[in-house]
Amino acid sequence: MRVNVIVNGEAMTADDVWEGESLLYALRERLGLPGAKNACEQGECGSCTVYLDGIPVCACLVAIGQAEGRSVVTVEGLADGESLDEVQRAFVECGAVQCGFCTPGLIVQAHSLIASTSGVPEDAEIREALAGNLCRCTGYEKILDAVRLAAARKAAL
Amino acid sequence: MDFLRPTTWADALAAKAERPEATPIQGGTDVMVEINLDKGRPAALLDLNPVAELRDWSSEDGWLRIGAGVSYTRLIDELGDRLPGLAQASRTVGSPQIRNRGTVAGNLGAASPAGDSHPPLLASDALVEAESVRGSRLIPIGEFYLGVKRNALEPDELIRAVRVPYADGPQYFSKIGTRNAMVIAVCSFAVALHPSRRGVGTGIGSAAPTPRRAPEAEEFLAGELDWDGRTAVPDETARRFGELVARAASPIDDVRGTRDYRVHALAVMARRTLGWAWTEYRGI
Amino acid sequence: MRYVGQPIDRLDGVAKTTGAARFSAEYPYPNLAYAALVHATIARGRITRIDTGTARKTPGVLAVITHGNAPEMKPAPKPNQFDMSTLAAATSVNYLNTDEVYWNGQPVAVVVAETLDVAREAAYLIEVEYAEYPAAVDFAAEEGNARPQKSTMLSEADGRKGDAEAALADAPFALDLRYTTAQVNHNAIEPHSTTAYWDGDHLILHEGSQNVAWVRDHLAIRFDLPKQNVRVISPFVGGAFGGKSFVWPGTVLTALAAKVTGRPVRMMLTREGVFRTVGGRTPSIQRVAIGAQLDGSMTALIHTSVCQVGRTGGWSEQVTSVSRHLYDAANIQVQQNLVGMDLLANTIMRAPGESIGSFALEATVDELAYELGLDPIELRARNEPARNPLDGKAFSHRLLMECFEEGAKEFGWAGRPQEPGSMRDGRWLIGMGVAAAYHPAWRFPANLTVRLSDDGTVLIRCGLHEMGMGSATAVSQIAADALCVPMAAVTVAYGDTALPDTTTAGASSQTASVTASLLAACAKLDRAVFTLARKTPGSPLRGLRRADVTARDGGLYNGSRGESYHDILRRAGRASVEARVGADTRLGEIADQVRSMSKFLLDRRRWVKAACGAQFCEVLVDSDTGETRISRWLGVFDVGRVVNAKTAASQLRGGIVMGIGLALTEETLVDPRNGRIVNASLSEYHVPVHADIPVIDVRYLDDPDPTMPLGVVGIGEVGVTGVAGAVANAVFHATGKRIRDLPITLDKLL
Repeated sequence: MRVNVIVNGEAMTADDVWEGESLLYALRERLGLPGAKNACEQGECGSCTVYLDGIPVCACLVAIGQAEGRSVVTVEGLADGESLDEVQRAFVECGAVQCGFCTPGLIVQAHSLIASTSGVPEDAEIREALAGNLCRCTGYEKILDAVRLAAARKAAL
Repeated sequence: MDFLRPTTWADALAAKAERPEATPIQGGTDVMVEINLDKGRPAALLDLNPVAELRDWSSEDGWLRIGAGVSYTRLIDELGDRLPGLAQASRTVGSPQIRNRGTVAGNLGAASPAGDSHPPLLASDALVEAESVRGSRLIPIGEFYLGVKRNALEPDELIRAVRVPYADGPQYFSKIGTRNAMVIAVCSFAVALHPSRRGVGTGIGSAAPTPRRAPEAEEFLAGELDWDGRTAVPDETARRFGELVARAASPIDDVRGTRDYRVHALAVMARRTLGWAWTEYRGI
Repeated sequence: MRYVGQPIDRLDGVAKTTGAARFSAEYPYPNLAYAALVHATIARGRITRIDTGTARKTPGVLAVITHGNAPEMKPAPKPNQFDMSTLAAATSVNYLNTDEVYWNGQPVAVVVAETLDVAREAAYLIEVEYAEYPAAVDFAAEEGNARPQKSTMLSEADGRKGDAEAALADAPFALDLRYTTAQVNHNAIEPHSTTAYWDGDHLILHEGSQNVAWVRDHLAIRFDLPKQNVRVISPFVGGAFGGKSFVWPGTVLTALAAKVTGRPVRMMLTREGVFRTVGGRTPSIQRVAIGAQLDGSMTALIHTSVCQVGRTGGWSEQVTSVSRHLYDAANIQVQQNLVGMDLLANTIMRAPGESIGSFALEATVDELAYELGLDPIELRARNEPARNPLDGKAFSHRLLMECFEEGAKEFGWAGRPQEPGSMRDGRWLIGMGVAAAYHPAWRFPANLTVRLSDDGTVLIRCGLHEMGMGSATAVSQIAADALCVPMAAVTVAYGDTALPDTTTAGASSQTASVTASLLAACAKLDRAVFTLARKTPGSPLRGLRRADVTARDGGLYNGSRGESYHDILRRAGRASVEARVGADTRLGEIADQVRSMSKFLLDRRRWVKAACGAQFCEVLVDSDTGETRISRWLGVFDVGRVVNAKTAASQLRGGIVMGIGLALTEETLVDPRNGRIVNASLSEYHVPVHADIPVIDVRYLDDPDPTMPLGVVGIGEVGVTGVAGAVANAVFHATGKRIRDLPITLDKLL
């Protein structure tokens, strides 16, 4: 089938797509957007987190046929041109990035957490919100710092 | 493989009647895992996302009718006060991303013995509303699970909704795993107190080929509790309740835990959830 | 120094947070094809029939490659310590060039197709029949077949001082304990992926690797190419932890698939594929026996181990190495043993040996302390050696007791009741545990060039690896300080065999290795630039001696006299000046290797070098269910000089979290009937998640090691050592139960 998806605000199409293939695969291999990462294909790691109609989901568990006509935002769509989103900026400044493979999924999930919280979320809330985003490098601590910093900056805006 | 995309419930039923081998897909949190992990392609996928009727819940006569497309996240946010047991269990499902997509109906469709929503549904006597072009029927939850990943749906049926009575008393859910989150249950347990009829509901997860109740434990406890005086539950009663719950299970050793551990843990969870529930009932 | 030691943002941070960073599976190629593996389902035997008919007819399939039709490849070379690149082969199997099966999971076919889902679907349709041979796959049952491990130049497998068995028998107090640890797997978040294409007889490979030169050399051998015909590109690696050090089947087979189809081919292993084709950490059985006087001074220390290796390869972990260095026992005996198994070759994983060896040793020391009624830290202080206990060599640097002292103060160690099971909060039993962390410091030869251009910028070309440690950032900091230029003027090119060969990113050695060469190259460059300036007519530096001149602000100056590098080069008419460390000819390479190896051996004869630390842990254990949660952590480390305070702390923390997984949740389960890994997924193999990890307080003493370049000791692995010991000791303090079998799962605590 031909699939039509709005990705990061732009209408995109892909042809000859098997509808059962994942949204993640389509983004990475067909639409040239490898920001969302593939690491478990079963919703256990969160590396492929993207917004689907404004809600963060694991792109590996959405059949591309299900995404037809819907809106997707990936990590590539968060920055405003050269200007990073506060979450991205805070991840760099706080040292929340190491190998970088879990980072895009974490950033989308953290972005969503902050957008749905007023002020700075509690630690327990952050840990719970990010529980489905595995990181094997950082020890998690600096990721929490980054979320708090980004939330505080966004709250001050 | 065909990809069927009905936009109305009537069309969905017609599609399922015509293609009974089609696999329904809603949140994709089970179906896509099977596809991704090379378990072979289904003959057809029946996407229920576009069916607007499934996205809503309604309430009538003290029952909630939860459409098959209502995500765990929405259930927690919108129905948590009326269905505390199911909401507690829903909060322990996977990650927020999974809860944003996954549904109770999907959990029922997959019928995995480890599914988190089964114990509270059992404890609160839920009904599964199944429908086909032939008509609609309500399946009592206790008759729904037939075996490991097998349920009572006919090939042409789809789950329209889950019907759950408003909590008429305290409800608690407990689950044991190795982590604080992202846990597949080693075993799980739910209890619901029904003071209006002086009854007790239970549900056991991950400790038998299917989720199941512990009828003997329910009957015993209902008879022992001091419903009017609301006095403390004697330790001996709680212990016996735990024993009867554990006895109702038939667990095995597997990668997540041993048989013996599950038997022990079920008794602990039964005592513990009873303690929480009775404390709430006593209003202290 | 302006940059070294500062908490500087990593240079690749923006690329990684915006999705711009390209990992090995993310290079676009026109006409790209996708490959999927078919894995053997038996442990040992021979393929008798392989039916690829349906797979080949599947629309979109380009090729199905099996041992029946695969082009011939050269076998992997025999390992030879004098040519390190021969160690690169993860297994000795010549994949798809044999009908023999050596492990359950070995690739027996590769499908190449237009899309990944077609490749996988077709792989699913291939039917294979086998003649099975008897196989040894149950580690516990094979213990009796273990044989002493051979020592190598890099790793000693045994050691002895005095007669430890006799001293143990005579000791006034003795413990003799047995420990077991489970197999665990790296589970870097990036699964192994390769993109390969052939340009005539040149092979280009995008591959997440900890040693690009090894991948290049190995593939050159397998495909019978001059090594300059192979290029391996690996600027971003999504975590590795040892799992991307060697060349595993997927890499070789992607290159083969690209050769067969004449197309660029990408292979992205599934998580299950990683478990089945990339080895993990060996399981172990260990004995630790300690004899002591009643005052705690050790008279005997015995540490022996049994680990597995695959019959086709496997890394022998230095499980007992910590017992060579930590305690001043009068008599010591260490002995490592190996048993060959019909399983996938195991491999190095973060602190191979020390991570699990320190568990057994540190749990025994804790037990001894309790039995003798001594504080565990006090017991360690009484046995802290002045020189290396086994052989009397000098420590280059060792602040282990200082780590314990600072840690004890910060953690509130002294205030705890010593009695096990005496702290409680409702249903939670609370316990505190401590253990020593220890990891040897290594340094290997590293080649690089440093180029100063007439615009004042500096380019460092160095085939180093960046798996998340922040290596390129650290190198920029060091170079900016050495040349007195702003960090913004420095660029590091890395992760590519087109650059000078560096060392492996393993054994926590990369920063020290690269730093030594970098400082040497910067010094050479400085001399070259000064000489240029001194000789150039009109230069303000003409006639000065080097001693009269200081480098500052991106130039060379004597007081106000002098000029910027930009002006020096322009005046001399030079576009750039370059300094190189490491030969670029084959003869020079050999000379370099001989030189560095003799220096290495001399150094090892003189010093014992290591990073060390003290791990403090507080656990909560549910008294009814055995659920165990970490509630507090403090690690205090002596890691020599810290180059980047921001990246270093996270390296140590990440190590601690991996140690917590080793202690509590991680276990690769092998079916004892057929050698199949039964939990080959992240849903059944549990790595710690955010919600499991408390605030982890990490400190370091930041005291340079005088014998290491810039005082750097290496920081990547010490964090994981001692962790499982500290957890087990805390669990004992909470519950009174000694669990000597990792992981400490719920059922073991009932």
